[in-house]
Amino acid sequence: MAVVSSAPTTKSTLPWPVRAAFVILLIYLFLVGVSSLEAGIRVMGADTQERLFSGVDNPLAGLFVGVLGTVLVQSSSASTSVIVGLVGSGALSVSDAVPMVMGANIGTTVTNTLVALAHVRQSAEFRRAFGAATVHDFFNVLAVAILLPLELFTGVLTDIAQWISELLVGSSGSDWKSPVKEWVKEPVSWIRDFWEALGASGNTLGTLMVVSGLGIVLLSLTFITTNMRRLVADRVERSMNAVLGKGGGLVAMSLGLVITVAVQSSSITTSILVPLAGAGVITLRNVYPVTLGANVGTTITALLAALAASSPDALTVALVHTTFNIAGILVIYTIPFMRDLPVRGAETLAEIAVKRRLWALAYVLGMFVVMPLVGVAILR
Amino acid sequence: MVMAFFRKGDSGLESIESRIVAMLGDARHSFDLATLAVVSGADPDSVGDDIRSTDQRINTAEQELRSELVVHISVQGTSDIGTVLGYTLLIKKIERIGDQAKNILDLAEEGVSFADAPDAGEFLEHRQVVSALFGETIELLSHVDTDRFEDYHSRVYGLRSVYESKVREYMHSSEPASFAVPRAIFYRYLKRIVANLGGVLTSATEPLPHQDYYDDGRTDIDDD
Repeated sequence: MAVVSSAPTTKSTLPWPVRAAFVILLIYLFLVGVSSLEAGIRVMGADTQERLFSGVDNPLAGLFVGVLGTVLVQSSSASTSVIVGLVGSGALSVSDAVPMVMGANIGTTVTNTLVALAHVRQSAEFRRAFGAATVHDFFNVLAVAILLPLELFTGVLTDIAQWISELLVGSSGSDWKSPVKEWVKEPVSWIRDFWEALGASGNTLGTLMVVSGLGIVLLSLTFITTNMRRLVADRVERSMNAVLGKGGGLVAMSLGLVITVAVQSSSITTSILVPLAGAGVITLRNVYPVTLGANVGTTITALLAALAASSPDALTVALVHTTFNIAGILVIYTIPFMRDLPVRGAETLAEIAVKRRLWALAYVLGMFVVMPLVGVAILR
Repeated sequence: MVMAFFRKGDSGLESIESRIVAMLGDARHSFDLATLAVVSGADPDSVGDDIRSTDQRINTAEQELRSELVVHISVQGTSDIGTVLGYTLLIKKIERIGDQAKNILDLAEEGVSFADAPDAGEFLEHRQVVSALFGETIELLSHVDTDRFEDYHSRVYGLRSVYESKVREYMHSSEPASFAVPRAIFYRYLKRIVANLGGVLTSATEPLPHQDYYDDGRTDIDDD
């Protein structure tokens, strides 16, 4: 209807090829950031590395660090990319990184839970929105509760990831000559030269390179997400309309996967669903499989980060993130009794939250801030 | 279905707009059939199923479009909020037009027929005028022509006045009830349909606070 389409809009009109080129540049910057972070850690001495990461020897402490780090940056893509960089530098072992990656999976659910809190004034809407948001929390916590002990006792997820990693880039401990690493070498040396020119050396230089890397990773990911969202918004809208409430679980899961890979953020995918659930456009049971697809889709960023790392272990830990999320679906979603647990948990919590609104806030603070903080403080 | 992501297609609002135009086409179809039964004496049984299934299609489209509008805001952000709220009002008006066409069918099913009445020609003429107004509304929604909006709205306003006068005339008529009441009801439905058609265009073109009102907010088109 041309009449309304001609109405003024506040949307940016950047042509899509320009935006797409910008995204490619941002991905390159993201890889530079990961590489700078890794190089910065390498610059620090072995003693410093040992002091920094000795606390996460305890898997639960690692898990809580993963939760806190992700809550802080509101993006599991960013936190897992940093973890991949740390593993790539050799400062963090794969076994120490695995619980952190699992923690990142829990931490990332805070974003859509916060989005659900915006519906707090309208009871029926809040019940639906909060349930839709926390089904993601319940699933991810349940997945960790099952798979972390299993991983600690058997190392099954690492074994699978290592096997795939060896197939792709070679055995653990070897130096992987990633072509991407070569592409980003020059800008990383510029960052190093810049700080050296200002007189930094040793641990100070390492710290400044890590901070620069972190800044570049976070900024580039933020801009990648924003631009990709704009690039694919029409496609997301079209596929949402085609799938929601019409397809089965697998279709919804695939939708969550595709959208998340496209926008490089599971939080965007799951946060889009919360207002839809609040308005009653989709049910909690429709939302559930989409969030599982988003869990798998978000692992693409860490895999991308691994391309800029020097060690096959970095790819292994990125692959653990993927296998963990796929295993979670296989263990929980494919078994009918288990499948219902996150839904029932979310419904019960939403019911409680509607009756006592402060409990919703207490849940968010307790689950995503207090518990991991206390956990880290005690277990480190 | 997930492949919808990879295929090229209309943007969210463009797709919604196409469906709105299709909804209005359905409403016109219902109106044409229902008035055919009352004005031309067509057998209500022969058109009833078609009208009811068309109305069902309109109702389903309304519900789906509401969801799609929520999806649009959720995915694209709030920059289109004014358009989306306008569309929410607009699709409700089209749904009401469908209901009013069904009400006209109810008249025919109650045995009302103007086919052999002395004023049959007048009814046929009004049927044609309103049906053409449907076509004009669809055209104006599909192709921008702001120069025609004013003329369109003044004709809608004029038709509403004509039908309102007719309703009043038959309410105070000395003719028997079996003559006056069906006519008063029929003109009342025409008036509501015309008002809703006008509202469809204002919903798509006017600033949100003025929608459903004429004359900069002085005349409420939904108050009668």
